This record gives sequence, C-alpha cells and structure tokens, in this order.
Amino acid sequence: MKRRDFIINSSLASGMLLAPNFLRAFEKIPKNKLGHKKLVVIQLAGGNDGLNTIVPFRNDLYYKKRPRISIKPEQILSLNGELGVPDYLSPLKNLYDRGYLSIVNNVGYPNPIRSHFRSSDIWQTASDANQYKSTGWLGDYLDVFKQDAHMAIDVDNKLSLALKGAKTSGISAFDPKNLNRNTQDPFFKKVLQKHHKDTHHSEENLGYLYKQLIQAESSASYIYENSKTYNTQTEYPKNQFGKQLATTAQFINSHLETKVYYVSMGGFDTHVQQPAKHKRLMKILSEGLEVFVNDLKKHDTFKDTLIMVFTEFGRRVEENAGMGTDHGAANNLFLLTENLKKPGIYNDAVHLDDLDKNGDLKYAIDFRQIYATVLDKWLEADAKKVLGNSYELMNFI
Amino acid sequence: MNPQKIIHLYNRVGFGLLPNELKKISHLSVDEHVDLLLKKAKKQQPLKVNTSELSKYDHVKNEREKRMMLQKVHRKLLVKLNTLWFKNLYSSESLLQDKMCLFWTNHFVCSSNFVDQTEQYLKVIQKHALGDFRDFVVAISKNPMMIRYLNNQQNRKKKPNENYARELMELFTLGVGHYTEQDIKESARAFTGWGTNAKNEFVFRDKQHDYGTKTFLGKTGKFDGTDIINIILEQPECALFICEKVYKEFVNPNPNSKHIKKMAKVFRKKYRIDDLMKYTLTSDWFYDTENMHVKIKSPVELLVGIHKVIPFEFKKERYFQYLQFNLGQKLLYPPNVAGWPGDKQWIDANTIMIRLKLTSAIAQQRAIEIAAESDFEDDFDMISKRKKNKAYFIFTNLNWTPFQNAQEGTNLEDWKQVLLGNKLSKETEQVIQTINHHTPREFCIALMSLPEYQMC
Repeated sequence: MKRRDFIINSSLASGMLLAPNFLRAFEKIPKNKLGHKKLVVIQLAGGNDGLNTIVPFRNDLYYKKRPRISIKPEQILSLNGELGVPDYLSPLKNLYDRGYLSIVNNVGYPNPIRSHFRSSDIWQTASDANQYKSTGWLGDYLDVFKQDAHMAIDVDNKLSLALKGAKTSGISAFDPKNLNRNTQDPFFKKVLQKHHKDTHHSEENLGYLYKQLIQAESSASYIYENSKTYNTQTEYPKNQFGKQLATTAQFINSHLETKVYYVSMGGFDTHVQQPAKHKRLMKILSEGLEVFVNDLKKHDTFKDTLIMVFTEFGRRVEENAGMGTDHGAANNLFLLTENLKKPGIYNDAVHLDDLDKNGDLKYAIDFRQIYATVLDKWLEADAKKVLGNSYELMNFI
Repeated sequence: MNPQKIIHLYNRVGFGLLPNELKKISHLSVDEHVDLLLKKAKKQQPLKVNTSELSKYDHVKNEREKRMMLQKVHRKLLVKLNTLWFKNLYSSESLLQDKMCLFWTNHFVCSSNFVDQTEQYLKVIQKHALGDFRDFVVAISKNPMMIRYLNNQQNRKKKPNENYARELMELFTLGVGHYTEQDIKESARAFTGWGTNAKNEFVFRDKQHDYGTKTFLGKTGKFDGTDIINIILEQPECALFICEKVYKEFVNPNPNSKHIKKMAKVFRKKYRIDDLMKYTLTSDWFYDTENMHVKIKSPVELLVGIHKVIPFEFKKERYFQYLQFNLGQKLLYPPNVAGWPGDKQWIDANTIMIRLKLTSAIAQQRAIEIAAESDFEDDFDMISKRKKNKAYFIFTNLNWTPFQNAQEGTNLEDWKQVLLGNKLSKETEQVIQTINHHTPREFCIALMSLPEYQMC
C-alpha cells in the first residue's frame, strides 16, 4: 500500500494513525467500487415452520396432514388466493401489500440434512451437504475483496460462521460502546504503538495476530465513532430481536460503510405445542420487520437495503403427536427491499402431493442461487469467485 | 540440552514450562526427554464421571418423559466430563499422551449427546493414542458412538449408507483425491451390518452384511470392513496423510514435505504411533528455530497454559463453559466431523480481544465480555435471557503457590524465556522494558497479554 493511501485510510478511523504500515497492508478494492448497497441477513435459528407461515390454505392435503395445528381458513389473510398468512402476521402482509416482500418457495439443497448444526453450517458456508467448510459465504466475500472486519457486522454477541473468512472475518458488535471500550486498552495501545516497522512481516502467524488486533481496534472504533451520535425516533418492539434490528438500523442510518449485517433470531425448534409458540415468534418477527422497514424508509435507506430471511430447514409436513412438527427440508425464504423486480410470490407454491421419503418438501431452488444473485446483482461481487461455483441467477432484484 | 529446545518440546507435547521446571530437567538429552514422555504416557487419568444419576429415572413409565429427563442429565454430565478433561490436563503427568488424545479427538471426530457413549469413545482414543494405528482405525470403526454419528447403523446390504466409508477415507486415512466414488460405494458395502445395540456394544448384524465380491482400490475379493482398512493402510498416501497432520499439529502449521516423507517412511513400517512420535520429536529438524513459536495456540492450549502459571478455579462453573464457547473450542463439542480447522481459524477480531485479555481477566478480574451460548433447541425467551446475561467479570479463586515456588532462584528474564521464547522483535522487547519495574506477578500477566503469548 502506498503511503498516501495509508494516511487516507487511517484518517477514517480514530486511533489508527499509529497503526504500523505493514499491518494495514491489505490490497483493498477502493470502497467506492463496492457500490452502496447493504445486505441484512436474518437467520431464524431452529428451523421455522414455513407451512404455518406462508399457508397453502386452499390445499386439502395441508389440513389432512395437520388436523390439529393447521391455520384455519378463517384465520388467513390471503396473499394471492392460494397462499396466505395467519392473521397475526398482518405486519408481514402490510409489507407484502406495499410490494416490499418477495417470497421464494421451495428453497433448499440436494440431500438435505436434518441436523440443526450441520444444516445451519451448510447454509452459512454455502457448501454441499457432504462438504465441510470452515469459512462462511459472507466471510469469503470479505476475503475476495480484502475488506476490513467492520464491513460485515454480526449484530450479536458472537461471530457467526457465515462471517468467518480465511484471512478476514467480520466482527460481532451487539453493543458498539462496549466493544469499543474493550479494545481501548492502554496496554494494547502501547503494544501497537511500538510496532512501527514491518518486523513480523516474515512471521506469518504472528503477523496475522497483530493484523487481527489492529482490525479489532480500528473496526470497533470505526463503528462506535460513526454511529454514536445517531438518535432514533423509532420505537422498536421491546424484545431481543427488536433490539438487534434497532442496532442494525442505527448502523445503516448512520451510513456506515458496512456492507453486510447479520442478525439471528432463535426459538424456532417447535417440536411440541407449536401453535402458541409459533404465533408468538411470528408476531415478534413480523412486527420487528415492519418497524425496521419503516425506520429505513424514513431515512431513505430502504431502497439500498436488501433483507434476506432464511432458516436452516423447514419442518415436516405432517404434524407430530406432541402438537408440533419435526425437522424437515425445503422451505420458503423472504427477500425484502423497496424496488423488487418481482414482488409477491416469486415461484410455484409448495407441492404437498410430491414429498420426499421422509415426508418433507422437495427443493426447487438451490439456496446458493439466491446467494449468487445477491452477490452478483446487489453487492456487485463476482459470485463465482466467492461461492466457488456458478449458480443460475434469479430475478428478484 | 539447549533451554530453547526444551521449551519448544514442552510447548508442543505439553502446555509449556515454568522456569523452575526448566532448570530441573535441562540436564537431560533429547532422547532422555522423549523416552521419559513416552514412559509417562501410561500415567494418564481416565475420563470418567459418576453416571449413577442416569439410573435414577428407571422407574419412570412414560417413555417420552423419561427421555426428556435423561437428556437433561446427559447434558449435565457432559459438562462435568468436559470440566474433568480440563482438570486432567491441568494436572497432567502424561503430557504427550494427553496431547495425542486432543489430536486424535480432532482427527477421528465424533460427538454425542450421551455421556456413556462419549466416555466409551474417549476410552478408545486413550487406549490407542500412542499405539497401533491399524488397531485404532478398526476400534474407531467399531465404536458405537462413531457408528451412530456417521450413520453406519443405517448401512445395510439392501440400502448401503456411504457416510462412514466416505469419511473414513476422506478425513481419517487418505484425504481427498486418493480414491474414487466407486471405491466409496464398494467399501460402504464392506461395512454393511457393522452396527450397535441399546447397550452400546458393537454388533455384527449378519443378515445385513453384504458378503458379495467388492473391488476396492484395485483389489477384488469378498472384503469386510477390516479388509478395507488393511487395504487402505497399504496405500502410501495413508501414512503421508497422517504424518502431514501430525506435522502441522506438532511441528509447524506450514508443512515441509521432505520431513513429512521421512516421518511417513518410519510410520509405515509398523504403523506404531509411538514410533512416529519418537522419530519426530528426536529429529534435528524438529528443533529448527523456524519451527519455534509459529503455531497459534488452540483455546485449550491457551487455557491450560495460563492455568499452569496461575492455577485458577472459576467461581461459577457456567462461565467456564461460556468462555470455551467464546474462544471457539468447547471440548466434546466439535463443529462437525472435520473437527476444528485450527491455526488462523481460531482468530478473528472478537476472539483475539478475548484471548489477549484472558490472563488479566482470570488473574486480576479485569473486565472481559463473554456471551452465554444458546442452543438451537432453546426457545426464544431462554435465548433472550442468555443473550442479556453476558458476563463481564469471570471471578476466580487463584492459587499463586506454583508461581511463588517457580520464582525461587529464577528472575524475570527466565519467565520471559519460558512464556515467550527469545526471538522477540525489538519493538516487543521495548514494550517489555516498560513493564520491567512491575512485580513479578504483574510482569508475567503483562507478558501473557502480548500477542506473542498466543503462539507456541
């Protein structure tokens, strides 16, 4: 990196002027070439029951397989006459009516795995079912573009695998103030101040540790300094998910250069007594989403923000003895932004008459097609380079 | 023996040395050290917790209820087993053996929600960790936890399940590229009928075994699982594959093919793991300076290393579990069958902060932020509660006695040598000079807060 670039980069983040040259020596893509679009990924951890979310309420098979836990037709808010949402999902229906929501049905992958851990890893790393990767697809995106940690923020307490790259990883920042305070340790500063020269350049792993330390310090301070004055007027639902979305909106509306945000909401593993639990989760999810979208709208940032809501697997079509559902396979996925190319229901509804041998939905769209489309058409990245394979692009944006 | 070399050896086969320990053993030769390590391997403690609580629910009639109750107990006992494992490492006399067990559990990776199966699996690991590799692979292939983990229970003549056969070759013995998809299909047939029962015993289910002819890696015959393992071990790639992994773990994360080939030559003779380790640890190149302090410590190595200098005890056991989770390595809970990738993958902007603050958080109760973990199975409220319940302080009881003892007849320079080695950069030396006037305790805590301490 040239001396001049170094100064420019450093001046962006306070405390970075002392950073040793070699430690910042990432061959970065100029930020203005990355576009100004943001991606918010929301993972519904535990496996959301997509069939009781987007309900095929004209389909007898649905009611036959779920005599006790199905959503009755009189409770349905119809989306397109064939599919509908339970009335407690009215905030989602509002977003749908405004043309901000695209529902992709039957998303999955070949040879689906029904373990939370594995399937979640597969979704987070964009791997095949029998492939074990230690980097996530968004971490790979950071790596390809040699980006700083704060370019991908996990709005949580611990970094998801999705944001782990081989050389660069995102940063988890649930509470920017705390995070920043953590990194402002006088002893670390002393250590970093002393390391002016490229002393560890030849020492690969130690050099890497120093780089990560610098990254932590500069990213934490960047996030905090650039978002601390933001004052939201919007009131978010008073729950953990609402809080995470409020923080995400704070970052986006403060115009951080961050490209990717990751939010996880848990509790979807509804094996027993599903109806009440699921209703509550759906309310939390949809109310949170509506407030979030309105907040972004108000700041005119929604047009540049794409929200993707996914879950590691769908649930079994047939209800179980405990008034719940077991782990399944393919599921629906939500995409939300202001200018969707194809708002509404993106593709065919579920085929309840054509299940796999476990009684689960078959997939029609590989989730990596969605990733590839997001990378290519939204983040302006080389999807093949990031994902390692080519996937047929889709048409939602 | 040169002190730097001794420190290097004990960084890799153990968790470092205290200055007084170094003095005590510096008169031994390389061969004497390695012989001693191999001899002491037999002193390993078993990994077994009291599981009598499991039988407390025998009387419960409702199967579902009983299962739920037992699940809870298993979960609790697994945490106990996890803690016991650490305790054994803290007080280990069988260093090399313990390090090998950590290595093999990250090689023949397997996990379970059942404590009895887990103990049984660990017993296999302990038994063979420095033994005959061939016996080891056979024992692992017959281990009930592994059979369940990689679905060999579902591997039947009429409907073979390839999962075990695939991982056996890809991850356990040969590595990608040294077999074909057809080899996987054929070998899966050979493992049909290798199953387990409710008592966690290996059972050979005759009716489900495919007795037909298989063609595997160029050979044809009525092979069963053991034959397949024997054929795999005939491949030169097998010894190379294992030796490369051993090299990366014990010598240098950047493999040196010349040295790995030499190791493989030794290993292939009898497939004795102790022979391989003896050869590796007594080789001149093991002690090359380019191999010293180049490995990033695993979270386990880091925690046990700190404990060695300042024995600690968490006032809240739970926080110890959280800490492992935050550092990215929770013993008994590997991420998947490929294990922890290790090395650079331990480190990101969040984990490096925790790692650097860890010693002062433990020894001086300095603030640190560690998040509670939650499971996929937890409900929303439980997860919210856990997310809110972050720990900012990890209160500990400390035992400074070993530190005091280690100080007798040693100075700060000796501490610096054992904790960080002696090839520090000029800049790091300058940083250390600014803390020279601190008390020995503070001085050592500061050294252990340097990025250099993350290396071994």
